[in-house]
Amino acid sequence: MFFFILTNNNSNKMFFLFILFFSTLISISSNSWFGCWIGLEINLLSFIPLISNSKNLLSVETSLKYFLTQSLASINFLFMILIKFSLLKNFNMNNIISIMMNSSLLMKMGSAPFHFWFPNIVEGLSWMNNFMLMTWQKISPMILLSYYFNKNFLIFMIIMNLIIGSLGGLNQTSLRKLLAFSSINNLGWMIFSIMISENLWLFYFLIYSMMIFMMISLFFLMNMYFMNQLFINNMNFFIKLNLLINFLSLGGLPPFMGFMPKWIIINFLLINKFYFLTFIFMMTSLIIIYYYIRIIYSSFMFNYFKMKWVNLLMKNNMSLINLSSFISISSMILSTFIFM
Amino acid sequence: MLIYDIRFLFIYMFFVGNLIFVSKNKHLLVVLLSLEFIVLSIFFFFLVLLMFIDYDMYMLMVFLVFSVCEGSLGLSILVSMIRSHGNDYFQSFSML
Repeated sequence: MFFFILTNNNSNKMFFLFILFFSTLISISSNSWFGCWIGLEINLLSFIPLISNSKNLLSVETSLKYFLTQSLASINFLFMILIKFSLLKNFNMNNIISIMMNSSLLMKMGSAPFHFWFPNIVEGLSWMNNFMLMTWQKISPMILLSYYFNKNFLIFMIIMNLIIGSLGGLNQTSLRKLLAFSSINNLGWMIFSIMISENLWLFYFLIYSMMIFMMISLFFLMNMYFMNQLFINNMNFFIKLNLLINFLSLGGLPPFMGFMPKWIIINFLLINKFYFLTFIFMMTSLIIIYYYIRIIYSSFMFNYFKMKWVNLLMKNNMSLINLSSFISISSMILSTFIFM
Repeated sequence: MLIYDIRFLFIYMFFVGNLIFVSKNKHLLVVLLSLEFIVLSIFFFFLVLLMFIDYDMYMLMVFLVFSVCEGSLGLSILVSMIRSHGNDYFQSFSML
């Protein structure tokens, strides 16, 4: 991603990227809620120049929608901070004020029921900006959520996230929107993991962002934005294999890397007898795997075109993607060697 | 409206600002103005709160700086939209 920014004469984007990283650190490491709000504001201020280049109409509309939702959410967050401060009692976490604060943080993340801006904006951004939006922008609202959350409210939000993320992706043809709904579904898993422990959230988040990075790198190198580009082109077999591995890993199937964090969360759920929640987690995962397999199936077997005038080769810079696919397959086995 | 406490005024202002934000307007500028109105209500709230902490208004100034930055960012997006679409009507959004 950095090579992409450096080669396009975009040195001012490096500046805004640095401020973006720094704003998340400000927000996480502050010792008052006001410092958290400042971090969120700087995050918004530095992300908008990254996504708006004035070369087409779409990016203006995208940056406008992003700005409106995020600024509303952060202003509401500040107001709820002030109300919490003025009430002078902070002992109980399960009250109305925590619902309002969590709602504004969920709106910043793009979680259901405040998710309607998220597939729209993802449709208008390039792949690298999507990567930033889906991974880095989720860190600081998540950690702020872990500081003061309402357990019952968040469990209800998790269920909505899972259901909307799985059912919303069924009728999509755009790859970006597909990954957006998959991101909403994974957000449900991540919110639950942050309620368990922050280390578990970090583990889930790192593996999720690695998987998303592999997928987005693959789509970025092949310049693919829609699903019909996956099976019309004359792709090399190994590119299709890479795609298969990455999609199944993202869906959470067992031999791949994406299964590991989900396994730990299901383990926790079953030990603590959250049976209904386990059921919802499982069923929505199945729906997601269904629409991933639908894409891969038509790419591999069903519409097996090999058009001779379009020829997608394995390019020179695909060694990183091949290495990461190898890690996807073998990491479950290799991770058992850690404790030897 | 019955006011038992000054906090009801802030909640009322905040609620009205949010209401205008989510209402169907013709221009984008109305939405940005409603954001500034919410900022104003928070400014007032901050002022009253900080008066009880021995008039310690420094945090208020920091808040004001960040809100002004955000307002100017909104205006720059408005300018960018007018440059590309020609107006700031919401009906010209047709892409997404």
